[in-house]
Amino acid sequence: MKQITPRARRRLWSVAVLLLILAAGVAALAWRPAIAPQAPAQRPPFDAALVQRGAQLAAVGQCAVCHTADPSTPYAGGVPLSTPFGTVYSTNITPDGATGIGAWSEPAFRRALREGVARDGHLLYPAFPYDHYTRLADDDIHAIYAFMMTRDALHAPAHPNRLNFPFGLRPLLAGWNLLFLDHAAVRLDPAHDAEWNRGAYLAQALGHCGACHSPRNALGAEKKRRYLGGGEAEGWYVPALNAASPSPLPWTLDQLTVYLRSGIAPDHAIAGGPMQGVVGNLAQADPRDVRALASYVLTFMGKPPPPLEAAARAAARSASQSSLPPATAGDGADAQLLQQGAQVYAGACARCHDSGRTIGSGGAMQLPMAIALYDPDPRSLIHIIRDGIAPQDGRAGRWMPGFADILTDQQVTALAAYLRRHGAHAAPWPHLAADVQKAAKP
Amino acid sequence: MSLYTLNVNGRSEQIEAEPDTPLLYILRDHLKLNGAKFGCGLGQCGACTVIAGEAAVLSCLMPVSVVGQRNVRTVEGLGSPALPGQLQRAFIAEQAAQCGYCIAGMIMRAQALLEKNPAPTDAEIRRHMALNLCRCGTHMRILRAIRRAADAMRGAQ
Repeated sequence: MKQITPRARRRLWSVAVLLLILAAGVAALAWRPAIAPQAPAQRPPFDAALVQRGAQLAAVGQCAVCHTADPSTPYAGGVPLSTPFGTVYSTNITPDGATGIGAWSEPAFRRALREGVARDGHLLYPAFPYDHYTRLADDDIHAIYAFMMTRDALHAPAHPNRLNFPFGLRPLLAGWNLLFLDHAAVRLDPAHDAEWNRGAYLAQALGHCGACHSPRNALGAEKKRRYLGGGEAEGWYVPALNAASPSPLPWTLDQLTVYLRSGIAPDHAIAGGPMQGVVGNLAQADPRDVRALASYVLTFMGKPPPPLEAAARAAARSASQSSLPPATAGDGADAQLLQQGAQVYAGACARCHDSGRTIGSGGAMQLPMAIALYDPDPRSLIHIIRDGIAPQDGRAGRWMPGFADILTDQQVTALAAYLRRHGAHAAPWPHLAADVQKAAKP
Repeated sequence: MSLYTLNVNGRSEQIEAEPDTPLLYILRDHLKLNGAKFGCGLGQCGACTVIAGEAAVLSCLMPVSVVGQRNVRTVEGLGSPALPGQLQRAFIAEQAAQCGYCIAGMIMRAQALLEKNPAPTDAEIRRHMALNLCRCGTHMRILRAIRRAADAMRGAQ
């Protein structure tokens, strides 16, 4: 056996002591006291107007998007959220004493929103956007508390999370909070009007738009310098809302407001994927708040480059009279793929999306204006082709059938390549075929 | 017009058609396989459901040009009035058809499920069948028939 020199022994000791101190430091940050449970009878009665305001704020806060798995059991949790670190399941936030937040006093509720700490003291995962809610005003938290505590109490125990090692260790979140949790209030800007400032507060503190629309770093925190610079959610590309917005046409305040409440901006955008739940909630919010959100977001989006807008507008004008062009010899190396894509388009898409549209096509969007064709990657387009677009249960809205089983992976690849080239006139997506393989099927 | 060679219910068929002709029209008009029905023509009702490859597809949305080498199967391929298949027997036993318009589509979608998952839970059957509509409202009988067929198929093995 190798002899340990006194010097090596000393070094070993100092490393051990250092580790111990570090562990103690983390433990001190990670340990949060429990807040005493509160019996439902101890809760003050809530005024109906307050509950109503709480309902509208909870709609802006998108609570139901993550906490309602089944509309028949609202806020009972159980929605899986897949992250690079594993899958987190949302929990029951109904006022059930045993499995929900029925024993949470308002200070316990406020601490959860502001600091990501549960009533019993355990740290919550930042899949719950407390890094945004931390900026909420006290009276808004009060109203949301009144709303949550007046919901039906449902018994629904938490589904265990499936996280990769070591992310299952909640004390590690103390380190995350130290690095990324910023309690600073939303900075208001007197250069903008009251509506814009209301929107800034709602977007940053409550609506947490950046949670999906901003890119995240390796530890899952939003990159502050690329605020609203485009992110991802549930395998969809989430469009940038800043100058990098992929939209070929500029948004107007009216259009964006209507879109946020209905999911439809005619001839411009249809909410798909994770955004459908968001607009479903915003439809329940105070319409003035939704307009404020739109007003705020608009200032980040620049105008699209003039040639892009001109091309999209020209395509829009001609789309009612002519078709997307067939693939041509000018397509070079990809000619064969694009030729196949043109055939798939003509067979499967054109009868609703192209000139001579059949009567049942309703308001099918003219594809040169469809934002998904202009995204920096094809994930959203692949999802729309395969899953289609269906309004949420019980809501009216645009509808497109999914082609998942009708088109092979190869046909989806060819179609997406063709739409990118001849619909958006943009450079090919570099890993299209691989992205089609990787994208989860419905 | 283009010439297509399709494999339908195990037979090779030569068909001359426009590339955007829906598979449903090929089946009904060219091959006289009238099991699959035209319901909405928009992919919203499921009356036109057939199997292509291993998956249930809406044949009203599927242009003939994308079918390729995939084997197409229709309700006629599962059995005949004299010798009905397992699912067909189960639908008869449960008297799951009222007007019958949706039934060929229902059976083909159920067939695709049972081939992939021979022991589905009731929730899995409901989820899988959600796309197919029955305006007479025999859904409960249809679900029972699928359950019966699944049990019978497993028992037979």
